[in-house]
Amino acid sequence: MGKFLLLAFRNVFRNRRRTIMTLIMVGGGVTGLLLVGGFFARMFWGLRESTINDGLGHLQIFTAEHFNREEKHVLDTGIDNWRQVAASVSTGGHVRGVAPRIEFNGMLSNGVKSSVFMGSAVDPVAERTLGFTARLASGRDLDIKPSGEIEALIGAGVARSMSVKPGDGLTLLAVTSDGALNGIDVQVVGVVKTGFKEMDDRYLRITLPSAQRLLQSDRVTNLVVGLDNTDNTDLVAAQLVPRLQGLPQQLTLKKWIDLAAYYNQVRSLFTTIFVFLGIIVFFMVLMSSINTLLMAMFERTREIGTMLAMGTPRSWIMALLVLEATLLGFLGAIVGVIGGNLLGVIINHAGIRLPPPPGTNVPMNFHVMHVPSLMVGSSILVIVSLALASILPAIRASRLQIAEALAHV
Amino acid sequence: MHELVSVEAVTRKFPLDHNYVSALSNASLHVAPGEFLAIAGPSGSGKSTLLNLIGCIDKPTSGRILIDGVDTSTLNSTRLTALRREKIGFVFQTFNLIPVFTAAENVEFPLLVQGISSSERRTRVAAALESVGLSARANHRPDLLSGGERQRVAVARAIVHRPALVLADEPTANLDTRNATQLIDLMHDLNRRLGLTFIFSTHDQRLLEHTDRIVRLTDGQVVSDTLTSEIPATAFPFAQPQMQGASHGQVSALSL
Repeated sequence: MGKFLLLAFRNVFRNRRRTIMTLIMVGGGVTGLLLVGGFFARMFWGLRESTINDGLGHLQIFTAEHFNREEKHVLDTGIDNWRQVAASVSTGGHVRGVAPRIEFNGMLSNGVKSSVFMGSAVDPVAERTLGFTARLASGRDLDIKPSGEIEALIGAGVARSMSVKPGDGLTLLAVTSDGALNGIDVQVVGVVKTGFKEMDDRYLRITLPSAQRLLQSDRVTNLVVGLDNTDNTDLVAAQLVPRLQGLPQQLTLKKWIDLAAYYNQVRSLFTTIFVFLGIIVFFMVLMSSINTLLMAMFERTREIGTMLAMGTPRSWIMALLVLEATLLGFLGAIVGVIGGNLLGVIINHAGIRLPPPPGTNVPMNFHVMHVPSLMVGSSILVIVSLALASILPAIRASRLQIAEALAHV
Repeated sequence: MHELVSVEAVTRKFPLDHNYVSALSNASLHVAPGEFLAIAGPSGSGKSTLLNLIGCIDKPTSGRILIDGVDTSTLNSTRLTALRREKIGFVFQTFNLIPVFTAAENVEFPLLVQGISSSERRTRVAAALESVGLSARANHRPDLLSGGERQRVAVARAIVHRPALVLADEPTANLDTRNATQLIDLMHDLNRRLGLTFIFSTHDQRLLEHTDRIVRLTDGQVVSDTLTSEIPATAFPFAQPQMQGASHGQVSALSL
């Protein structure tokens, strides 16, 4: 077997120019996949972290009912004893903090004009602990220790349609947990740009006590848990589930990935694009390699005839050609991985700026991640592609008529 | 008497356009073990076709060929491959060495195919290369060897697995007279010392006096089958003294 492998290895370098061309082609395919895949991976990573740090958190705790039935009134399915739950969750390892939230809807008015809002109420201290900072376009964030006026952040779209700016007042109207209509006056302290126009047109944020006063309830919609590292999400979730089961109210835990619909859509779209690209590379390598390998086989017809005449089993001839192509694929993969990583480093240092990705208005850097699984996957792809490309030449070689092959010029 | 090769009324036709041409017509030949036989004839007389048929790398259109008593027409592809592997050694006109292998690795190849152990291979390769006088060139690739050396490597490759029969198709066609004579003498020496049966084809009249038996083919038919000893010396117009260099292949202790 060793000698056979040696023969295959030496045959690979028999026609150096052709081998180099094939290695460039195969390596180029791998490099392309690594650069595109690495860029996508970086984009996914960036989107994941920004999704989490924009307020989604790593984990969220709801009541089980929240997902099982429609609320008759706001906070109907909210968490009762949320302080106890938050305290319990905070004691776990890897947990940076717990932020209570209330999600509610209502109307806001500037006295002349009214509009619908999608509101969230937060504890500014907890939010800041977790690093959840609003993307302010103007003004400031909610005060940690509010005094006097009830403060509010509004979306850029809301500010535009209501013609308000930081320092101006608005009136919020919402249905309380009892079904009554209630209203409070707030002072706009900041205008937020989320990056999504639809969000900016409805966005409103006030403090948790203000919302509880507006909605006449002590409950919260959910608790957002922030961790020290996204990679610990599964670990902490597994630890928290049994702890939550011991509490009086039936609670359920959701991971960020279950709640990040936009992230999942983007990932799905770009994964499909990447798979499509992988298929193109696969077929490019396959088709061009078939030609190269057929040419190589044709040039060695007499040699193969000689081997067959000497009693070499036809299956060995097939195996030899497949082995040679596989070796070529392996070497091409090495070239591609080295090339892809080098180019990645160069690109990362070049600081290339790209236009904002779909759905956002924030420009991004062209940054390529070095993903080991991508290197392995791309390498396997081209190795398999070359091995498959060798099947036709290998079959042809194994079926050669010996006498004709020996007479081949 | 036991026959190693029996060619019985063999015809081989090849398609050409819409017709068939006969490369061999009703040819018969019987070879005993240990013979050193030349198949002579001009180009196109059917020498290579006959050797291909005896070597089981082609099939006759009619007639049958027996190797060591086995009718080759009854064997399937796998068994024919095994028969070639175990009983036949080949020497080709253009040497047909594997260019990426060294001389020793080329000689080793038939043993590799037979699944012989590494240590056994080493011993046999060394002996085979010694028997053709090329021990010193064992690690040279074919492109660094002369034509005569390449063909001697090919001979070593043909005998290393101790076949019953060695077939050489125009083995001297690409060699000069000196190397051609040396090669034939080397093969004859191996034939005598190891009892190997050699059948080789040639159109070179100068080499025929070095053989034991000459089978002449013309237009695909056996026209004569004569022992060299029965042919008067005057029948070899190019006869010349045996060259000293032929002793390259004469080794005192062959242990193949």
